[in-house]
Amino acid sequence: MADSFAIRVQGHLDARWSSWFDGLTVTKEPDGTTLLEGQVADQAALFGLLLKMRDMGLPLLSVIRADRQELPSL
Amino acid sequence: MAGPLLETKLYVPAHRSGLVPRTRLSERLRRGLGRKLVLVSAPAGFGKTTLLAEWLDERTTAWLSLDQNDSDPATFWTYVVAAVRTAAPDVGAPTLALLQESKPAPVRLLLTTLINELDQITSDLFLVFDDYHVIDSLEVHEGVGFLLEHLPQRLHVVIVGRADPPLPLASLRARGELVEVRAADLRFTTDEAAAYLNDAMGLELTSRDVGALEQRTEGWIAALQLAALSMEGRDDPSRFIAGFAGDDRYVVDYLVEEVLRRQPEHVHEFLMRTSILDRMNGPLCDALTGQDAGRAMLENLDKRNLFLVPLDDRRQWYRYHHLFADVLRARLLDEHPDRVPELHRLASDWHESHGDRTEAIRHAMAGADFARAAELVELELPALRRERREATLRAWLEMLPSDVLLARPVLCMGLGGARMSTGTFEGVESLLLEAQRWLDEPTQTGMVVVDHDEFRRLPADVAFHRAGLALMQGDPESTVVHARRALDVALDDDHLSRGAASALLGLAAWGAGDLETAYTSYAESVVRFERIGHIADVLGCSITLADLQLTRGHLRDAMATFDHALRLASNQGGAVLRGTADMHVGRSALLYELDDVAGARAELARAVELGEHNGLPQNAYRRRLAMASLAAVEGDPDAADELLDEADRAYVGDFSPNVRPVPAVRARRWLAQGRVADARRWVDQQGLSATDELSYLREFAHLTLARVLMAEKRLDPALDLLARLARAAEEGQRSGTLIEIRVVQALAHQLHGDLPAALTALEAALALAESEGYVRTFVDEGPAMLTLLEAAAERGMAPRYVARLLGAFPSAPRPGVAPGLIEPLSDREQDVLRLLATELSGPEIARELVVSLNTVRSHTKSIYTKLGVNTRRTAVRRAQELGLLPR
Repeated sequence: MADSFAIRVQGHLDARWSSWFDGLTVTKEPDGTTLLEGQVADQAALFGLLLKMRDMGLPLLSVIRADRQELPSL
Repeated sequence: MAGPLLETKLYVPAHRSGLVPRTRLSERLRRGLGRKLVLVSAPAGFGKTTLLAEWLDERTTAWLSLDQNDSDPATFWTYVVAAVRTAAPDVGAPTLALLQESKPAPVRLLLTTLINELDQITSDLFLVFDDYHVIDSLEVHEGVGFLLEHLPQRLHVVIVGRADPPLPLASLRARGELVEVRAADLRFTTDEAAAYLNDAMGLELTSRDVGALEQRTEGWIAALQLAALSMEGRDDPSRFIAGFAGDDRYVVDYLVEEVLRRQPEHVHEFLMRTSILDRMNGPLCDALTGQDAGRAMLENLDKRNLFLVPLDDRRQWYRYHHLFADVLRARLLDEHPDRVPELHRLASDWHESHGDRTEAIRHAMAGADFARAAELVELELPALRRERREATLRAWLEMLPSDVLLARPVLCMGLGGARMSTGTFEGVESLLLEAQRWLDEPTQTGMVVVDHDEFRRLPADVAFHRAGLALMQGDPESTVVHARRALDVALDDDHLSRGAASALLGLAAWGAGDLETAYTSYAESVVRFERIGHIADVLGCSITLADLQLTRGHLRDAMATFDHALRLASNQGGAVLRGTADMHVGRSALLYELDDVAGARAELARAVELGEHNGLPQNAYRRRLAMASLAAVEGDPDAADELLDEADRAYVGDFSPNVRPVPAVRARRWLAQGRVADARRWVDQQGLSATDELSYLREFAHLTLARVLMAEKRLDPALDLLARLARAAEEGQRSGTLIEIRVVQALAHQLHGDLPAALTALEAALALAESEGYVRTFVDEGPAMLTLLEAAAERGMAPRYVARLLGAFPSAPRPGVAPGLIEPLSDREQDVLRLLATELSGPEIARELVVSLNTVRSHTKSIYTKLGVNTRRTAVRRAQELGLLPR
């Protein structure tokens, strides 16, 4: 079952990365981080996204499942 | 072998001088030389490969650049051996032979072979796994872990990747067997950044600018490289650096943007279009761009250091630096999502027309063109099967959407078969049924067949796989039904299906006691497998075939079966085929029966020399049984007992009926040692009784029971049981077993005091055994049989044969009895004594005599006691004085 996830990485990422990350919305935050959020098909898809981030050398800050609640803001 | 090898994957990256020397890191690597594993673990762009190229420059290096296709164990280990052979060409032939076998060899066996070979190398060899993080196969990880556990002396393993490998790193670390270089170590220090930017790139930056760049990029080498490219030819580097340092953007976004903005439109376009490629050369780029300047463009990019990594010395194949490729691909996807499938399609076409179907399939999948991918997989299927790349086949087929898969009967069968051979049975039956459905109703619309030859083989293929599945599920009746069906529908020249179906049918028939069908089926499968060169299968089937021949009393035919198989195996050239050792074990048992004890021992020594890894795992117990009977006849009861225990532990059923259970063999040994109560305990545990209904599968056990009853002097039930066993064996045409039954019958009548009946039974045994030359079946029965044979000789029964048998009994007085010795040395002790007089060490003596070191030690102790000495030298001298050894 698809769940919503919010993934935070260090640095400001261009909005053009959205398609690369399977259509997650890309939001630059004032603290110099970027939040990628949206529906992720399953755990395999989630790990696929994380591996893409690893391969880009993006420092990963947090991964949060935002099920049925408002996305927590960090 | 896993398809054609890509040489670019084995290319050792050249060490380029003029870069920033990483003395502090190579020093650490050098200090770690004696440890088991060097791990270089850091994200992309941290200079991992460059560091190793520098460190390994002028060391003997086997380099393997991994990609996603290498998660198939067959592919992975084939490349490992190929990499090793670039540095040590004499190593690896036996391992490659195992990889080429028609049955996949267990990874352990492969690795043991490879490790034994690498143990022989006399100079240091560095084996580098680059980009190890792409491997996602547990089996490959376990194999690498096994290699590390049994690491050859001069081999050094280096693992390079973006994530820590799932190996027991913590325990390696705790034992001081790991050298690590991680991101924090690899980052450029300010000094190194200055050396890079000013000395290597000639930028003449102030130390403040260098400091700002170093801080902004956190020493990330790829980012510094991008920054240097962005600044080339600018007259205001400080302003650029200030702008960069004051920006929060992801470093790579910022810098690639800068670099790309400074490229002319046609370069930009070229980079975007070719970004989907993992490997590229000029013509491939041309196929994607529709231009013809690919090669010149690549040379230009290479010269300008624009993130191109050469993959060979000839500067033909390149790849983009991973980070750069990711950025380009993301942009392509964002700006021209519609172009992506088209570009993959072009790449897939190009690879197909250049003979690389694996890459063609990968691009078809990446472009979500599943119909094309399915078509290509179907064309590649016979090669995948031949090369034992079932894991790859399975992964590809599992990526296809189910409607694409299910419309293709050849692929349904392919996935079912690939799952079975990779040890998964889930969903196999329904896949086979899907394939069967198309076969049953060929008029249905929607079926897609690409490879019509495969489709014609399909009915037999489906049927024999269903037979195999039924056997796994413990359903011999269905096994027979499906195997017979496979033989009915198989094409005349479909030797694989015919061979496999025959073997399955034979196995099921054997288990059901139908020896006639079992025999003809195995004979057929041996012929078929031989026709298609599946020699390892021929060896496996030969063992069963010889067993059946022996049961039917055809000792010479059984010998011929082993001889033929050995000839086939030795014609394979080079490496020893697995199963060869089992042929020698089989010959040993037959030679023993023929009373050629020296020959039997030589065959066993040959099997031991070939090693356990050259034997089939399901036959490991047979070797111990053969060794045990030799040890027993040579007067070494301890060794015989030990070997029987080992045989019991090593027994693997593997779907073959257990017609000669090791515990029954041990019960017979107990009887020979007079331990009747122990043998009786075995009978009770087995719940055996003289009035049981008889079946072929329990024949050996019941014959053992008859011997126990005789030892207990319960002759009536013993004779009754033996008479029934004889009838059953006669009806089943098991002449080989019948000889033994008649021999035991003769002994029982003799015990009963009925000499005429004893001689009648003996005469029947002699009649069956004479033409085949059986000896040990008689002689091993000892003095009682000697008396009977003497009586037979008096009556002129089979005179020449009986005379031969009588001559085979050990004659008294025996050598080894010397005046001055209270207790004579046993035969075995004399053997050990002879070897004590040589230069051989204890373990060498053990090997020579095919016994354990412990056994040699206990003999030696006993020899010392009997001779009244306590050193090897005095033992030899004393033995010489006594005339037991030549002076």
